[in-house]
Amino acid sequence: MKHPLLKLEPLIWLLFGLGIMVGTMLLTAWLAVVCLGAPLGLVPADALAFERAHALGATWIGRLVLVGVVALPLWKGAHHTRHVFIDAGGADRDAVVAPILYAIAAAGSLLAIVAAGRI
Amino acid sequence: MARAAHPDAMKPRGPQRTRTAPPTAPAEFPFAGRYRTYTLFDWTGIVYLLAGLVALRVVWALGSGESAWSTLQQQLANPLYLAFHALSLVAVIFVGVRFFRLFPKAQPARIGPVKPPPQPVLHAMLYAAWVVVSGGLALVLAGGIF
Repeated sequence: MKHPLLKLEPLIWLLFGLGIMVGTMLLTAWLAVVCLGAPLGLVPADALAFERAHALGATWIGRLVLVGVVALPLWKGAHHTRHVFIDAGGADRDAVVAPILYAIAAAGSLLAIVAAGRI
Repeated sequence: MARAAHPDAMKPRGPQRTRTAPPTAPAEFPFAGRYRTYTLFDWTGIVYLLAGLVALRVVWALGSGESAWSTLQQQLANPLYLAFHALSLVAVIFVGVRFFRLFPKAQPARIGPVKPPPQPVLHAMLYAAWVVVSGGLALVLAGGIF
């Protein structure tokens, strides 16, 4: 499994780089508003009411942002989690662990595109 | 009387791997000295992976209708979700601060005829982009604009 991963290395690094840079910028607002502000009542209740959230998510830029919020952190997460395993002494198992992690990121990215398309 | 040895008698048949000592972890790894930040930076990967999967759940619920959206909103108020998302926000800010500090130092001196801006300028540009993108998105999501 090493060889295909080496061939995909430039693509993986591109997605990892986007995840760490753009993903971080998007996640900051997403976590602050959607995951913490709204559940804690810190943002107006109607801001994320279904009609408004749906209307925002149904625009092309809304779909793009939603795909980015899901897919980019997944690639950053997969790549760094791979290195956590390697640093913890799992270099021998990298040929198994790395494809699993990247498969999760790839499947999650595809599902994000499908999910955004369903809105 | 013995023949003289061929000068290439001990030469490997083809290119070989360079012999190296087995890798050993530095004494300070993983939580002492400079390795603490390095290790924490790596561990944020687990947080990002989980945060991405939760975000997928949120987007999926939005496409599944009003009832699924309301149910998800209630679930996000669960203390476990709130604790995880608070940890995630700390991790995201940590990654941003560390990565945006490292990024200018990792730039080549020039790319063809183009020289990158001075490091402090590049650093400031990254922070400006972070504030604009994140602040703009937060304003939209919180109902401040649109």
